[in-house]
Amino acid sequence: MNPPAAPGDVALEPREASLGLGGLPPMKARTSSITRRAKRTAIFGTLPTWLILIPIGAVPLVVGLWLSVRDENLVSPLPATYVGLENYRTDVFNATFGKALIVTLVIMAIGLLVQVPLGLFLAVLLNRAVRGTQLFRSALITPMLLTPVAVALMFRFMFNSELGVINWALSSLHLPRLDWLGESGPALLAVVIVDSWQAVPFIMLLLLAGLTALPQGPKEAASVDGASAWQSFRYVTLPMLTPVLLVTIMIRLIDGFKLFDIIFILTRGGPGTDTQTVSMLDYNTAFTFLATSRAAAIGTVLAILTLPVYFVWIRVTRIEQ
Amino acid sequence: MKRSRSRLFTDIATYFILAVATLFALFPVYWTIATSLKTRPDAFVNPPKFFSFDLTWENYTALFEDPTFVRVYINTIVVTLFSTLLAVGVGAMASYSLARSRRFAGRRPLEVSLILLRAMPAVVLIVPLYDMAARFGLLGRLPTLIVIYSVFALPFAIWIMTPFFAAIPMELEESARVDGASSFTIFRRIVLPIAAPGMAATAIFVALLEWNEFLVPVVLGSESTKTLPVFISGFISARNLDWGPMAAASSLAIIPIVVVTILVQRRLIGGLSSGALKE
Repeated sequence: MNPPAAPGDVALEPREASLGLGGLPPMKARTSSITRRAKRTAIFGTLPTWLILIPIGAVPLVVGLWLSVRDENLVSPLPATYVGLENYRTDVFNATFGKALIVTLVIMAIGLLVQVPLGLFLAVLLNRAVRGTQLFRSALITPMLLTPVAVALMFRFMFNSELGVINWALSSLHLPRLDWLGESGPALLAVVIVDSWQAVPFIMLLLLAGLTALPQGPKEAASVDGASAWQSFRYVTLPMLTPVLLVTIMIRLIDGFKLFDIIFILTRGGPGTDTQTVSMLDYNTAFTFLATSRAAAIGTVLAILTLPVYFVWIRVTRIEQ
Repeated sequence: MKRSRSRLFTDIATYFILAVATLFALFPVYWTIATSLKTRPDAFVNPPKFFSFDLTWENYTALFEDPTFVRVYINTIVVTLFSTLLAVGVGAMASYSLARSRRFAGRRPLEVSLILLRAMPAVVLIVPLYDMAARFGLLGRLPTLIVIYSVFALPFAIWIMTPFFAAIPMELEESARVDGASSFTIFRRIVLPIAAPGMAATAIFVALLEWNEFLVPVVLGSESTKTLPVFISGFISARNLDWGPMAAASSLAIIPIVVVTILVQRRLIGGLSSGALKE
């Protein structure tokens, strides 16, 4: 793969290259040959990505489509046959899928309503010129990096209705103890709590970066004009922060739609199917009920539901620039 | 005078709220580690023992006496290491291309693929991948896990790294080009050394993702390729009351993460923030 050494190759240490910068003539005349070269380099540079992306990212979508019109499963010894859109009729356009979609949207919506204000609030506090915020920041971002499976399992222990520390805390505050993972309302709340425990630090970190990057001028001007702290936040800081806020919300919506690990450990979609998200439903269909083709039909529809994200993504990142 | 007193009040409120938030953020971590160091009776007592309990290593010694667990830990390190190298290596080349050339054949399809891969629930790909891997006899093999892990991490790696490459001044490369250097030489001798800190930060982040990966190994792995998250998840079904060993295994999953993030704090935050802000 190594191309033959070009002339001057040996002397090409970065420091010397940058030192030689000053005496260069303008590059205009060479530009078109350079862009052509850059294009060739770019095509070559993206080749390894395509090489692993196609078999693992693209081919499975086609295989999934193929599986979804057959009746493959991991139980029956009979050879699979073509069944047309049967799997879509039985497994996508039914109450179970509808409920899973609603559960997913509810978790996304509650999560967003809790997490974004909380993350924004903490980011604003950390952005104040108060001593020690670095230390608080280090401590506060820890949850977002930890293994979701381990986190969810530990919360499962803490949510335990008899021995868990959360119910102990509730009863010492004279609040009612909850059957956290056994009843649908509390189970949904538990999922949102664990998800938020990891998501709020993430949101906080992104918004803090956004706040730090804002110019100080407009804020000072507002303060000179006698604006209160709240007014200057509401009418100066927040509008300037909107692009970063949109990116953050978009990423959180994506991750909310994908939510899997935490639910798998915490509730497995239970009680019943009350916390079963679309990912969990797809997993259960494939690997609990071993109905590969039916799971592939659900997966294909989920893939189609994902497509609009591309347009939102392009929009939102363009606003940011 | 009045202004400084209100400022003092806001400062105190800030500290108070941040302290409460920190308590919420760190208590579950403390509780995991504390439970892993408790004897069985202490772990189950009500009211819970927060500080005064007898320290014991028995949960850890039990884990390490189990040859499965040692294997699991080694598997996790191997898969994390190689998939991180693959994702960051391949991702760096793609990021450099995206940062340097506004238009080239396949740019738009690549962007679309990466965004959709990032947005799609992983299980959508895992179901057909399981079918494919089963047909080709690739289930339960570490290389299978490594390649799939790295593809799933690619959108993230490229997203974070592209701004780093875009920030390298074009003039550096042009002057080398005038000296007759090839594209590959320029990438290796000029671009890579400058981008190295950014790539290191990316590698740490990708390694965290790989270390935590659960769906891929639980579906496509086997007993011999079991990773730490899969091992930990095994505690819910079979051994529902083994809270001590479960907390010990969880601690061994999260303590390396906590140590790494303390060591590279600044770089990590810079890396994530720049990726989120500039792309």
